[in-house]
Amino acid sequence: MQLSRKKNIAGALAAATCSLLGQPAMAQEAQGSSETPWQFDTALLYYGETDRVTAVEGVVGVSKDFGDEHIFSGKLVLDGLTGASATGAVPQPYAQTFTRPSGNGEYQIGAGETPLDDTFRDTRVQINGQWTQPIWNDYRISTGGQLSKEYDYLSVSVNGSLARDFNQRNTTVSAGLSYAFDSIDPEGGRPVGFSSMPLRGNYASDDSFRQAFDATRQDGSDSKNTLDLMLGLTQVINRRTIMQFNYGLSLVDGYMTDPFKMLSVVDDGGITSDLLYEQRPDSRVKHNFYWQTKYAMDNGVADVSYRFSTDDWDIHSHTLDSKLRFDLSDNTYIQPHFRYYQQSAAEFYRPYLMQGDALPDFASADYRIGEMTAYTLGLKYGILLKEGRELAFRLEYYQQDPKNAGFEAPGVLQDLDLYPSVKAVIAQVSYRF
Amino acid sequence: MQDLSSSLAWRGDHFCGRFRAMASPCELLIDCQDEILARRILDSAISETRRIEQKYSRYLPDNMMAQINNGQGQPVAIDDETYRLLQFANTCYELSDGLFDITSGVLRRAWKFDGSDRLSSAEKVQALLPLIGWHKVNLDEKTLSMPPGFELDFGGIGKEYAVDAVAKLAMQIAPKHSVLVNFGGDIQVTQPRAAQQPWQIGIEDPNRDDHALKLIQIRHGGLATSGDARRFLLKNGIRYGHILNPKTGYPIVGAPRSVTVAAEHCIQAGMLATLALLQGPDAKDFLEAQGVCYWICE
Repeated sequence: MQLSRKKNIAGALAAATCSLLGQPAMAQEAQGSSETPWQFDTALLYYGETDRVTAVEGVVGVSKDFGDEHIFSGKLVLDGLTGASATGAVPQPYAQTFTRPSGNGEYQIGAGETPLDDTFRDTRVQINGQWTQPIWNDYRISTGGQLSKEYDYLSVSVNGSLARDFNQRNTTVSAGLSYAFDSIDPEGGRPVGFSSMPLRGNYASDDSFRQAFDATRQDGSDSKNTLDLMLGLTQVINRRTIMQFNYGLSLVDGYMTDPFKMLSVVDDGGITSDLLYEQRPDSRVKHNFYWQTKYAMDNGVADVSYRFSTDDWDIHSHTLDSKLRFDLSDNTYIQPHFRYYQQSAAEFYRPYLMQGDALPDFASADYRIGEMTAYTLGLKYGILLKEGRELAFRLEYYQQDPKNAGFEAPGVLQDLDLYPSVKAVIAQVSYRF
Repeated sequence: MQDLSSSLAWRGDHFCGRFRAMASPCELLIDCQDEILARRILDSAISETRRIEQKYSRYLPDNMMAQINNGQGQPVAIDDETYRLLQFANTCYELSDGLFDITSGVLRRAWKFDGSDRLSSAEKVQALLPLIGWHKVNLDEKTLSMPPGFELDFGGIGKEYAVDAVAKLAMQIAPKHSVLVNFGGDIQVTQPRAAQQPWQIGIEDPNRDDHALKLIQIRHGGLATSGDARRFLLKNGIRYGHILNPKTGYPIVGAPRSVTVAAEHCIQAGMLATLALLQGPDAKDFLEAQGVCYWICE
């Protein structure tokens, strides 16, 4: 008995307790929250539009909890895009010729076909990091930055937010601010707004064509500034339900024209007489209202959200998104996804311009700022593996249906599809470890 | 036997669920505002406690314990949970140099700690000693066999194990809410409360024998008490507490009346408290050497 009196057996007993209760040895040192290992989220995504853009994207996300809610998260995204995108020009009953955005060469579009620019090719690298930590009683701050680089585009942003918990953490109120600076320097330069696209066939020599093309170009790069303000409220309704409300104000100032988009100028018969590069306003004020509810069921999660967005370009949009996760077993789940989107056309959206009409201040035929509806139907299947690892597969169908925002098509345009649908398939494999 | 009734009440900032099992008042304090959740935790706790009690109670005819104790020297099939409990008991036996021995329950036949001066006779005790000795028990993952006449008794670990098992279950059901499990003073808290305030509970004051409650505060981890101020014999001025030495068959003399220990898990705390009592007058030295928080009642 003298032997065991001085002997420290607490450690051995703790180990025996662990094997009895089946808890990891780490629980022994748990006092408050403790450091967790790095967690990685990786994904490979394929996005393919019928006859248009194809994108492949790789994502590596990392996050780490350094203990006491000091959390770092970061992400590296690499994507490659190839394919063709709609230029804004209208189809014609005959083949059309267009000058490439660089001014080097031309491309033909067949009779009745939607003009697509098939030189669309880009690689994007994006990296971001975010740090979150409590500062004093019930307050948390979060700050981060992001850098995104494409061949002709650079975007840098910083953000910061402050959140406060109330009511035993059942209520969280947050306010955040972010600033982004984007710089664009497109291949072949930025077109002068509403300048006419020169075609090689109308010039006697390469030199005279080049001179005319250069006259449609502005020197150097341009930029835009974006300031975002966000206010959020998260409320735990009960053990099963959590609700979130956000308001966002976005102020954008600078170059927002798409240098690759144009408008057809048509006569009363619907025949193209000229092609003009588009011109958009250089300021935009946007309001976002967002509501999300997550409801935990006995064997799954329902996640429903609605967003209303409105801006001074007159684009008003509604987004309804729902994901329903059903646990098939202890470690597999299936998650159907449905998203519906509807937007009204920008005030300066024109599917084409009429010959003889005075030029408006701004105009764009980009279908993405026209009236449209879109929906997504998808299914995700996830397998939860040991130690928090997860393997998931996602397959979705996406369709955009541009609509006529009340323009009466002249002549031949009545028989052509001015608002073709865009159909895409999205496939993703993701692995968290 | 069992009182099947249970109650759930709102107490200002938490729910309090109560039921009786294992011959103790059982209490759950649940740090949430959701009654459905609290009810679910309480119901699960009750069924888990009853499950453990019915499996290992010495008083039931057909359970795991009865099969083991009626083995008559033959191997008895055991399940994984039983194996883990026996492994734990084995570790405690080794760590205590044989002082903690789950075969020593048979000594109950010789001793009644009723506050009188009736010590057991030497013959009675001697007759029982051959039926004691964990080292004579053969254990592997699937079977257990012990000499005829041997009996196992989980009295020293069963209730604490149930407290930890219920706490683990509560953690699974409500990973974000603090739950305090209190079975007659053996306590486990699943995690600190949301606002970091301590749980306040009354436990029986071991310094008094009138069931008076002493208020204590606990934030996390486990707490357990060994010893019972009301169970002793007194003869010629010597107090014989109810903790028996399995090697001699006699009560440990000079031990504190009770010892309370705080540790990460209830069963750990309970075992440290029991092992301390088994050290007799050296209980305090033993506890000091363990580097744990403890309270001794002399």
